[in-house]
Amino acid sequence: MNIGRMAALLKMMLLKLFREPAYVFLMLLFPAMLTIMFGFIFADPEFGMSMNVTAPGLFAYACIFIIMTVAQSFADMRDQGLLKRLNTTPMKSSDFMGGEIISNMILVILQVIIVYLLALPFGFTPDTNFFGILLAFLLMVVFSLSSVGLGLITATISKSSGIATGISFIFILPQMFFGTFMPITSTAKPIASLMPSYHATQALSAIFNGDLTSPQVISGFTFTAIASIIIIVLGIFLFKKYGNK
Amino acid sequence: MSEIKLKSYEKPENIINPDSEFSIEVNNLRKVFRGKKYYDDIIAVDDISFKIKSGELFGFLGPNGAGKTTTINILIGLLKATSGVAVINSYDVNDALSHIKELIGVCPQEPAVFKNLTGKENIKLFGRLHSMKKLEIDNRMDKLMKILDLGKAIKRKTKGYSGGMIRQLNIIISLIHDPKIAFLDEPTVGMDPRARRATWDFIRSLKKTNKTVFLTTHYIEEAEKLCDRVAIIDYGKIIEIGNPKELIQKYSVNNLEEVFMKITGRRIMEGM
Repeated sequence: MNIGRMAALLKMMLLKLFREPAYVFLMLLFPAMLTIMFGFIFADPEFGMSMNVTAPGLFAYACIFIIMTVAQSFADMRDQGLLKRLNTTPMKSSDFMGGEIISNMILVILQVIIVYLLALPFGFTPDTNFFGILLAFLLMVVFSLSSVGLGLITATISKSSGIATGISFIFILPQMFFGTFMPITSTAKPIASLMPSYHATQALSAIFNGDLTSPQVISGFTFTAIASIIIIVLGIFLFKKYGNK
Repeated sequence: MSEIKLKSYEKPENIINPDSEFSIEVNNLRKVFRGKKYYDDIIAVDDISFKIKSGELFGFLGPNGAGKTTTINILIGLLKATSGVAVINSYDVNDALSHIKELIGVCPQEPAVFKNLTGKENIKLFGRLHSMKKLEIDNRMDKLMKILDLGKAIKRKTKGYSGGMIRQLNIIISLIHDPKIAFLDEPTVGMDPRARRATWDFIRSLKKTNKTVFLTTHYIEEAEKLCDRVAIIDYGKIIEIGNPKELIQKYSVNNLEEVFMKITGRRIMEGM
């Protein structure tokens, strides 16, 4: 891995992300809008839910949409011959994947900051300390690896960036409905327990309840980390073997 | 005394004829794309051999689908040959690709640039990928821009570039790191006559600095004017190779296009 090359690629990826209005909307404005809307909807205590219940799910929800942007971005670079061109330079695939992963981690950190700050006026009262907040950030950064991995898998099986958008929902919807802010019934729980988003949300909820050493945090963090590493390794392997053609 | 650890490509067994005067050596190269299900195999490159001297401007001519881009893609490591040997600067493409990538510059047929970045940002990115320092990139960019002038557009996002400007940027990106060997795949397609002439001047300037240029084109005039030698490829086979003037004399015709017609019975531009 070459730090100089990775830094150059990281800069390119960040510029690419922040100069594309669709990505800016999807990654930053959409979570912000959603937080505000949920804030208004769940601000009424009679409704039975509060921002303290929905906020952890909103963090995970925002992060899930990385699947779509990664899939679009890779399919687009492949369609335009950019991946082939990059492959003719001394760049290693580890430099490229490193840049991609770090750029998405930066994005997740921004998302978490936005959702966190916007949720506060709507009654989000996290009962945790500085380390808890740090742990929440770390959890979301680890969770973002699974989204990057699923984005790569989506790009591998998509023939164009347009198709990638549609196919990405195969991964987005189950993670959204079985593991973010949706109530999980006993029927849905077996499916939900397979979703990294469910475990990440469960661990986040426990962190924001101030119980940093609870089994929910430990098992949620462990599952999210293991699942994310497996998914990203699989995504990189599949994309390198079948997707970069 | 401890031994100096050699990188894999530096091991003597991986350096083929280190005193060779040739930048590119191709021996019995063959590429077959396997047909799926009901389709036949396609022989894209059929047992071709040629050698290109260092500092030579070599043209690779042929109609669309003749095997030009497949050959380039094998030489630059994007495709694996079915059989045969390709050697760049005394290194086998299969053994020392990472080293070869430091020596070559590739200008792809379809311009590949990041549309959300400016021309300058694109150039800088590729310079950095070749481990160039910022100052080196700026100096080299100034040099290249004197010949292939994109003017103020260099600071604009490439989204708004015309086809010709994108092509010029495509060439600048491929040569920003001052490579020893340049692979230019149809570099002037879609350029207006002024830009094309500027590009020709630029390609000539590469020769003056002793760069080896591997140029594919189906513009016969371009090859005649620029190249020291040309190889004519059709249906994956090299059917003639030599100096353009000598070939014209050999076949007693007026230009290279007529050479091709005399050998194959059709025009290079047919079917395009």
